[in-house]
Amino acid sequence: MSTQTALLISVLLFPGGLFALAFGLALKGADRRFAARLQGRVGPPLAQPLFDLVKLGFKRTMVPLTATNDTIFLAVPLVGLAAMLHAAAMIPIAGVTATSPALGNLLVLVYLLAIPGVVLMVAGSVSGSTYGAIGFSREMALMLAYEGPIVLVVAAVALRTGMAEGQVVTFSLAEIVRHQQVHGANLFDPVLWPAFLAFVFFYPANLGIVPFDIPEAETEVLEGPLVEYSGPALGLFKMMSAVKAVVVLGLGLALFFPVAPSGPLGLVVWAVEMLVLMLLGVTAVRVGIGRMRIDQAFAFFLKWPLLAAVASLAVVVVA
Amino acid sequence: MFNLPTIDPLGLAWMGAIFLFFGEVAALLALPSLGRVVLFSTVAEVGYLLIGLGIGGPAGDVGAVMHLGYQAVMRGLVVAAGWYLVSRTRSSNLDDLAGSGRRMPVAATLFGFGIFAVMGLSPFKGSFSKFMILYAAIEQGHWAIAIVGTVATVVAAAYYLILVQRICLEPERRPVELAPAPAGLLPIAGVLAAVTAVLGLWPEPLVEAAVHLTRTLDVAAIPRFEAPWSTIVLVPYVGGFVLWAVGRSAPRLRDGLAVVFALATLALVALDPTLDPASRLFALIFAGISAVMVVYSVDYMAGAANASRYWFFAFLMIGSLIGLTTAHELGNFYVFWELMTWTSYFLVVQDESPKALKAGFVYFLMCAGGAYVMHFGILLAHAGTGSFEFAVLAERLPTMAPAVGATIVVAFFVGFAVKAGLVPMQAWLPLAHPVAPASVSGPLSGILTKAGVFGMVKVLFVVVGLGSLHRFAFAGVDLGTVLMVLGCLTLIYGEIRALFETELKRMLAFSTLAQVGEIVAILGLGTALAVDASLFHVVNHAAMKTLLFFAAGAFILRTGHHDIADFAGLGRRMPVTAGCYALASIAIMGLPPFSGFASKFLMVWAAVAEGHWEIATLLLLGGLAGAVYYLRVVATLFFEPWTGSEEVREAPLSMVVAVAVLAVVIVVGGLAPQSLLALVTPVGALVASRAGLADAVLPNLAMQWPIAAIVAFLGAGLVWLVGRRSVAWSGRLSVVTMIAALAAIVIERGRFDGLSLAFAVLITAVGALNLTHATAYLAHSHAQPRFFATMTVMIAGLVGLCAARDVVSFFGFWEVMSSWALWAAIVHEETDAARREGFKYFFFNTVGASFMFLGLAVLATAAGTTDLAGIGRAASTMALPTLATGLVTVFLGLVMKAAQLPLRIDVQMHPALAPTPVSGYISAVLLKSGPWGVLKLFTLFGGAAVFARVGGSLAGLPSMMEVIATIAALTILYAGAQAVVQNGIKLVLIYSTVCQLGYVLLAVSLGTSLGVAGGLMHFVNHMLLKDTLFLVAGAVMVATHASMLDELGGLGRKMPITFAIFLFAGLSLAGIPPLNGFTSKWMIFQACFESGHWAFGVAAMVGSLFTLAAVLKFAHAAFMGAPTARALQAEEAPLAMLIPMGVLVVASLLVGLMPGLLLVPIAAIEAELGLVPVAASLTGPLPGLEGWHPGVVAVLMMLVALPLVPYLRLAFRGAGVQRVRVHECGAADLLPEATRVGAGSLFETPTAVIRGLLTPEHRAPGSQREHA
Repeated sequence: MSTQTALLISVLLFPGGLFALAFGLALKGADRRFAARLQGRVGPPLAQPLFDLVKLGFKRTMVPLTATNDTIFLAVPLVGLAAMLHAAAMIPIAGVTATSPALGNLLVLVYLLAIPGVVLMVAGSVSGSTYGAIGFSREMALMLAYEGPIVLVVAAVALRTGMAEGQVVTFSLAEIVRHQQVHGANLFDPVLWPAFLAFVFFYPANLGIVPFDIPEAETEVLEGPLVEYSGPALGLFKMMSAVKAVVVLGLGLALFFPVAPSGPLGLVVWAVEMLVLMLLGVTAVRVGIGRMRIDQAFAFFLKWPLLAAVASLAVVVVA
Repeated sequence: MFNLPTIDPLGLAWMGAIFLFFGEVAALLALPSLGRVVLFSTVAEVGYLLIGLGIGGPAGDVGAVMHLGYQAVMRGLVVAAGWYLVSRTRSSNLDDLAGSGRRMPVAATLFGFGIFAVMGLSPFKGSFSKFMILYAAIEQGHWAIAIVGTVATVVAAAYYLILVQRICLEPERRPVELAPAPAGLLPIAGVLAAVTAVLGLWPEPLVEAAVHLTRTLDVAAIPRFEAPWSTIVLVPYVGGFVLWAVGRSAPRLRDGLAVVFALATLALVALDPTLDPASRLFALIFAGISAVMVVYSVDYMAGAANASRYWFFAFLMIGSLIGLTTAHELGNFYVFWELMTWTSYFLVVQDESPKALKAGFVYFLMCAGGAYVMHFGILLAHAGTGSFEFAVLAERLPTMAPAVGATIVVAFFVGFAVKAGLVPMQAWLPLAHPVAPASVSGPLSGILTKAGVFGMVKVLFVVVGLGSLHRFAFAGVDLGTVLMVLGCLTLIYGEIRALFETELKRMLAFSTLAQVGEIVAILGLGTALAVDASLFHVVNHAAMKTLLFFAAGAFILRTGHHDIADFAGLGRRMPVTAGCYALASIAIMGLPPFSGFASKFLMVWAAVAEGHWEIATLLLLGGLAGAVYYLRVVATLFFEPWTGSEEVREAPLSMVVAVAVLAVVIVVGGLAPQSLLALVTPVGALVASRAGLADAVLPNLAMQWPIAAIVAFLGAGLVWLVGRRSVAWSGRLSVVTMIAALAAIVIERGRFDGLSLAFAVLITAVGALNLTHATAYLAHSHAQPRFFATMTVMIAGLVGLCAARDVVSFFGFWEVMSSWALWAAIVHEETDAARREGFKYFFFNTVGASFMFLGLAVLATAAGTTDLAGIGRAASTMALPTLATGLVTVFLGLVMKAAQLPLRIDVQMHPALAPTPVSGYISAVLLKSGPWGVLKLFTLFGGAAVFARVGGSLAGLPSMMEVIATIAALTILYAGAQAVVQNGIKLVLIYSTVCQLGYVLLAVSLGTSLGVAGGLMHFVNHMLLKDTLFLVAGAVMVATHASMLDELGGLGRKMPITFAIFLFAGLSLAGIPPLNGFTSKWMIFQACFESGHWAFGVAAMVGSLFTLAAVLKFAHAAFMGAPTARALQAEEAPLAMLIPMGVLVVASLLVGLMPGLLLVPIAAIEAELGLVPVAASLTGPLPGLEGWHPGVVAVLMMLVALPLVPYLRLAFRGAGVQRVRVHECGAADLLPEATRVGAGSLFETPTAVIRGLLTPEHRAPGSQREHA
């Protein structure tokens, strides 16, 4: 199989592309169902996110009169989704796939992860809606809060792995996973515990769920940037969100717990791990607590996750 | 015959001295009664007789007899003329006598003539006998008597001058009815005056009579004061009389003759083979400036009162200046020295106003006093050597006792210092220069002060010689030290006073003090190089200051005002004169490419070469002060509206010609300094050979101009000229000029190294784009050609900088690029704020350049070469303190240029006020000269090996580069955060620029293969992207006339292309993969982490988030959201704007998809710089272990997105898009304005935190407007 074909497959089919989309929708379905159970409801079928997409696909595309530019209004969800599908292809599944360096390394992934936020902001802004603008403003504030910690977390892991491998640093996801498979997961490395803690705070914020769903708070700003989106365009956003869940959770696993046997079984184990992360780390949290205000969230991130991440990096460098 | 054996002769002499002194004091106290003054004064003269007789000896006896004879005649004249005046006025009180010059011109003139004769002013020879007596005292060792006599002479000079001023020159104070003229007195006075004149010109008969009378045998012991005058002197001297005579009947003929005489004098001086180099140099300066002065005076003095008197004294002054230089013995030297003072005194008081008379009084008294002191030294020298001849003195003076020698030197020095205006003897200068007619103030400042310098060089450095000066030291302090100290004090005093001066001519006068201070301080260094440097500046300052005064005179003549503030906008009415004034101002600030730069460069060079860094620093600081007050005037002339009378027009022809000739000299002196240096260097050689020192090795002072810079420079001139006819063509021509320059760079590419060639190509290419944009941006502005021209000059400087291989070119073009041309482009809008901020920017640039220059001078003088590569070779063996000082100061300057902390751009300027094409160019291109310089000099100066010598290394990096990297990393965070909180359209961008420059500088200072490659990638990417953003901002500002983001909103509907361009460039700059802005940042991140600088890496990554916030804020506030009223009236940008923006975006796209386009040349550059080149191929991926290909990623993302497009169903059954009202919770009556979320409301929490952290008290520039 030539490199080009391999790249195409990884981006279009597996582990990105179709697989990531399907798996992401499944995770979303599980999330909704589990949340319903926790709230004492029956909940929708597991495939409900897929049904939603189909339904949205049959709606007409609507653009508000105040939108600044139709093309940009409709193109942004597509850009976000494409970026996430590409990012999903970069997520290593321990024992099953290793990321091709041609897709980019960990640093590229970190910046790809910012794209959904960016497209949401542009979407909110370009729609001409006041709620969209407020959502945009909140999203940026939140990003300013959580990007610092994630950069530090990534740096800490990269330095820790790189030094252990006899280099200065490595941003190769494949190498980070390989290292853990040989020397044990980073989760069990006390030096990286603060980093892990910071990551735990990072991903709900990045995924935009309670208590950090401030930009899209439907009870406050009517889903913020998404308020004017409907039909297929909204569907694209939903897909983006689903794939993003795969990317963020997958990144977490790759960085801290890439523990799975090789072969098809490994894929199953990985999927289960992802599901557990989703249900425990996302669903339980979002059902269990309420939303923060933006200033609270900002202050919170500037305190604890940042502190933890800085501490982690410092410990890594000193150790 | 006069044998008085009963009295001790010495006692007699002392009696005489005491009598003389108290007599003169009594006469002074007897004022204002003319009768009593003359009486006491006459009686006091008896003191001289007693001294002469008491001292005895040939000189004493002969002197006493001659004094008696002289006094009989001259006193008789004074008494006769005075009596006539008193009896006709019927009062002896000076208050009544004032104005006699008008009432009784003949008698008053005779009286004045008599007074000057009595005073002993050459050439009236009253001094001859007096000085013979003093000489006798000195010769016999009675110095004290001579000193008392000298002091008494000074006292007498004071009241004599008061008499002359009050009686002959002042207007009358109270009306006087004249009595009938007494018979006979006037004829008697006339006869006596004639006798006085004859005695003055042919003293020999009287001398012989005195010799005979005293039966003196030893005739040789009588000093001979004078030698025949040089024939050159006779031309202006006789000319003066001719003009005076002709002028009474035919003023036009007089003017023509004046020019002929002046040119003849100049020609004779130029052809005279007998002059030694020092004399020749000064004779040429004096004659040259005089000729220009004469031309200027033709129209300036046309119709003025007392014009004939003016011409008479002007030519006498010219003659005495030439005489001074042609003198080869001290007698003539002194005679001309006195004449110079005396004639120029009459020119100073030309207006006869009280102010002029007071200034003239101080001037005359101080200079005459100084001359008397000098005379004391002359007599002392003769007493010791028996000769006045320079040649003989040069032989014998070095053998004198140190104490005597030192006394002689000090006496001479005082005389010279007063003339040069050195502190603390400067009081006359700022008084006299401004009140004189402008035609005289120019030469007063330009050449008369230089007579003092001439004296120092000729008498002290050449005749006495540097070696002897060292020997003649008081308590270890030799003259050199005195010169340096007083020079520096004068410099400081002059600059400070000039800073606070509001009257133009007074400001210029104080500036003269400062410049003379520089000259003298450098002269004090006492090397051949220093002599060359300071004399070169003498030449240049003569031209520059004379021009400035002449132009100022024209302004005053045309407007009738004197204050700088009254000349606002005069540049519009008097373009040539004011233009030349501006040119001379730039030159005198020491900015290239004019003559002042060359000599200032050489002076700093000379100071540093001698290890006198403090003097070099002081010179540079002085330049800064000069920049402040000179630029202020230029700004007033050109960048303020003209509100005065419509009648004001260009100066008369002869004045314009004079000013233009001087301007040409200034330009030639800057472009071909060797042409003027050829006159100067023989003097340095002469001084050196007298002292047995090595001759000076001068650096090549000419800037090396690449063809492209010449093209751009000439093109700028053409742009300006064409602009007088057609603004549109001037704009197009500027674009063509840029393209031509680009072509020239490509043709002459061998002249550039790889790095610089790439930079130069970008400089001109982006320049062409921005100028294209500017043609549309300025379509409804004013004075566009001026802007096009200055921007083109600025770019010419940048191109020249790229080609520079030696220190002079490097620093010279650096200054062209970042000083006056830039300033003129920035202050284009002519508002107060623009002038203020433009000046601030200029000032900081000059400070940075000064640092850089000082460092370069330190390194270059230590290496003994101006060649940059040569310095690099010498650096590895250079003494460590020198190397460290040099490198640190050079790099400090470079880091300042990149606007890094702590000298950020927000302190430097508020760029919103400059036309956007130029502020974009500054941000995108010009400031890159900082990182470019760091990289170029780092490698040229020997790279890591040399830099590691300066304080070792940290983490594998030379610590100095580590410091720069740290500064850059902090700047990224600081400026990034600032950009987030700004609300000014351009302020957001400019802070972002500083932030991005931090990336470039950080990466380049890492010095690793990947780091430098990443830095250079970002260098280009940021250039393309930031320029795009600025051009967009410009388009927005033109479309809306807004300057704050809050005034905008919803523009994207009206300007969709502009909006799309902005969004692309902004997001790319913020680091959205896989766009070009991200790829270069990715390399920088990698390089930071891989070289172990993880903190830098984290800072760089966080910084890009700030950029994102700033860009999105801008995009939202300007283009998206609900439209404002302004936005609804806006239109899409014109093609002239869209095309440059489009070209930039396409370029960004291309280098984004194919980084090899940049990486291949970068790898070549790295190889040339001596670094390991990064792996690069045209179609290949990014370098590094984990190198990926942004093109591949882009294609993959596109392929992922394509299958999803149909999902949007845009074409399905013609469904298309349905338009709906935006959701407003049911409210239907909300105006768009009311629902807008403006720039000020975005990111409230982070903004508050950033503001709290960065600006707790201080408000950023423009913040008042934000809140208004």
